[in-house]
Amino acid sequence: MKKQTLFTTSNVVLCMIAITLIIIPFVSDSRTMIILLTQIFIFGILAMSYDILLGYTGIVSFGHAMFFGIGAYSSAIILNLYESTMMIFILSIVFGMVLSAVLSFFVGLLTLRLKSHYYAMLTLAISGLLLVVAEKWRTITKGNDGFTFRAPEIFRDRMMFYLFVLACLIITFMFFKRFVSSPLGRVLIAVRENEQRTASLGYKTLHYKVIASVLAGVVASVAGSLYAVSLRFVNTSVMSMDITLDALLMTIIGGVGTLIGPLIGATVIEFAQHYLSGLARDYPIFERWIIIFGIIYILAVIFFPRGIAGTLGNKYAQWKMKRSEAKTSKTYSGLESSMVDKRGDLK
Amino acid sequence: MELIISLTINGLATGMLIFLLAAGVTLIFGLMDVLNFAHGGLFVWGAYTGIFAYAFTESFTIGIIIALLTGAILGFITEKLIITPVYGNHVQQILITLGLMIVLSECIKVVFGPNGIPVSVPPLLAGSWEVGNIIIIKYRIFIIVIGFIIYGLFHYILTRTKIGLIVRAGVMNKEMVQALGINIKRVFLYVFMFGAALAGLGGVLMAPYSGVIYAEMGMEYAILGFIVVVIGGMGSYSGTLLAAILVGLAGSFMAYYVPYLSLAVNMIIMVIVLVFRPQGLFTVVKG
Amino acid sequence: MTTLLQLKDVHTHIGQYHILQGININIVENEVNVLLGRNGAGKTTTLKTIMGLTPSSKGSIHLHGQDITKRMTYEIANMGIGYVPEDQGVFSDLTVEENLRVAMRKEDETTLKKQDYVLDLFPDLKTFWKKAGGKLSGGQKQMLAMARAFVNDSEMLLIDEPSKGLAPIVVEKVMEAINEMKKTTTIVLVEQNFLMASRIGDNFTIIDDGKTVHHGAMSALVDDNQLKQKYLGIG
Repeated sequence: MKKQTLFTTSNVVLCMIAITLIIIPFVSDSRTMIILLTQIFIFGILAMSYDILLGYTGIVSFGHAMFFGIGAYSSAIILNLYESTMMIFILSIVFGMVLSAVLSFFVGLLTLRLKSHYYAMLTLAISGLLLVVAEKWRTITKGNDGFTFRAPEIFRDRMMFYLFVLACLIITFMFFKRFVSSPLGRVLIAVRENEQRTASLGYKTLHYKVIASVLAGVVASVAGSLYAVSLRFVNTSVMSMDITLDALLMTIIGGVGTLIGPLIGATVIEFAQHYLSGLARDYPIFERWIIIFGIIYILAVIFFPRGIAGTLGNKYAQWKMKRSEAKTSKTYSGLESSMVDKRGDLK
Repeated sequence: MELIISLTINGLATGMLIFLLAAGVTLIFGLMDVLNFAHGGLFVWGAYTGIFAYAFTESFTIGIIIALLTGAILGFITEKLIITPVYGNHVQQILITLGLMIVLSECIKVVFGPNGIPVSVPPLLAGSWEVGNIIIIKYRIFIIVIGFIIYGLFHYILTRTKIGLIVRAGVMNKEMVQALGINIKRVFLYVFMFGAALAGLGGVLMAPYSGVIYAEMGMEYAILGFIVVVIGGMGSYSGTLLAAILVGLAGSFMAYYVPYLSLAVNMIIMVIVLVFRPQGLFTVVKG
Repeated sequence: MTTLLQLKDVHTHIGQYHILQGININIVENEVNVLLGRNGAGKTTTLKTIMGLTPSSKGSIHLHGQDITKRMTYEIANMGIGYVPEDQGVFSDLTVEENLRVAMRKEDETTLKKQDYVLDLFPDLKTFWKKAGGKLSGGQKQMLAMARAFVNDSEMLLIDEPSKGLAPIVVEKVMEAINEMKKTTTIVLVEQNFLMASRIGDNFTIIDDGKTVHHGAMSALVDDNQLKQKYLGIG
């Protein structure tokens, strides 16, 4: 039985990072940096939600943007219609979450019982449909042009918003961390590893997959709400394939199934987007930087399916194994070979 | 009455174009268990290279040939570099083909520019016939005819030729085909290239029909293609044809009568099919 | 008594399971070589390893002295080894005619003659020529599978439990067929049905727990009750 220590190396490192992030706005003058970091946090939340689907349950969704968009539009529309207070904002987030939950529940129920290809195709099609709906329903969404709205007073100060989003990120991260090590989380991992086996053990895998789908959708919606408020503007781009792709790229490149991976991915990609678009102004060749990311992504899927976090994690684990192996090999090898035969059966 | 005929022809034409794209997807899926999310990229590349060849040589026939070649070549590269490395792993394969789709779409913008390019119907096929009160647009009939020819070709190859036999056998039992001395991996490659060439053909034929080509059309038609494949049944080329016609007609009629439902109607059909008959409307036996 | 196929210390892993743990067999030309053993001993895996369907992890396989250990399945098949799997591998949506056609590597005189020959051997196939493979009875599927394996110039046929689930009268037919085929082809037969194995087998190899433990002439095994009891649980 592993002892539950609070002070493991990874926890300490994470704490330090969190503290650093909290301090940054107080020491840094750069407004760009604050805004960039806020965006990273928002997309970090989105990417983590995507990781729950892909990395932990093994479900490929091509429509994640629709939940992000639902959250964004919910907050934007509600804040626009009513007073822009903190209370209303929170309510709008909840409203988005409920809509997303309902949608992801039905979509999940419908297709998660079929092969993974169907879910991918269906989510692709539905999010495409919702994008068109958003474009056509001009009365509510103002279509492609979108609209601006007021954010809650308290967020006038960029720093307050930064801290608020950071808090959301930390809470989401901690929640997910507990979730994946909970019994429920572990069933999801089992489903990813071998769904048939898990089903034959008596688990109704469909239920678990739908739960993962709903959870991911709901969290993506929160990210969308935050995004809309960060820009004080919303348009159909929040429903677009680009958002799903961002989540996908961040998760894969950062490292599926690690939770920290998507955050790394979000950091890498947002920084890259920021600097490359800056470069694109001077050197037009960088305008199509997404091709480079696309190629990196393809290479990652083939050669580094565990992404940055995963590959680093593997190296670290291997290094640890080598150290302990040297210590225990002498004790174990004799013991083991006397107890277990080549076939792995006990003698 | 003229309206109905016009809408029907319209629907059939659109349906045929989607069939060309979807046929490749369904064949590849049936045989290789691979769902090619990059198929739309082959479609749009076929369109662009075909149209540019047409503009350059003033021969639509050459444009068609170039489109077919582009499809086949891109199909070759895709199968070798993208599909084979991740063969067997569904998740990786879904992810990677989508990545390729993005790269292909973006490369269009790099090579041909980000703006849409207007395309006009080749003079030989332009114009319309008047049959009584009805105006029949020649180009649409052309597309429908080509569609049926391709379907016929499919049917002939699959039922009469040795390679078609091998493909059908491979769909049922890949291992046994290998044990009979046939290099099934080689067959995969040919099937993939064939499906890709068809997508390219669909693209170049689509161009004069819609009047414009743009990078995003790959994804748009791919989505319709997937809807068709689901409705018709993955792996059934006849099912794909019927489903494509259904989707084309539904879209066409809806676009006239209830415009804002036109996109939704196909989605709704897909959802209904997935709920009640996930193996597809037209598959009788898995094969 | 020439050795056509030789397996030396062959090991096979399927996933993490170490199924074959040292198989040593010499397949004798123009004889019916029977592989015997209990369920799960590794007989089917041995055949699959020879065919390259489950590649070996250790050891070597030589055909006519040529190393085929790392070859691809279709290459091995093209070298003259035919395979009749346990489930027959009949293509259910293809007709009998189409099933045979897929199998034929060339469609020349010799092959067509062989097809005629095998259709005479199994007249049922002629009757159901245009029927879908999936609709045939168990016995007919078995005959189709064997006809398919025979119709090419196979030097050697690997046949996996042909009598399984068949009525005794059909089993007789199958044995008749194997006896015919043995005249021109070397047979490697996996059989649980000892009665059948002993009647048509020329030599035997017993596989137990993934290892070859005994081999010899079939006539010797029939009389050896101790051996039969120990490894086959019969006699």
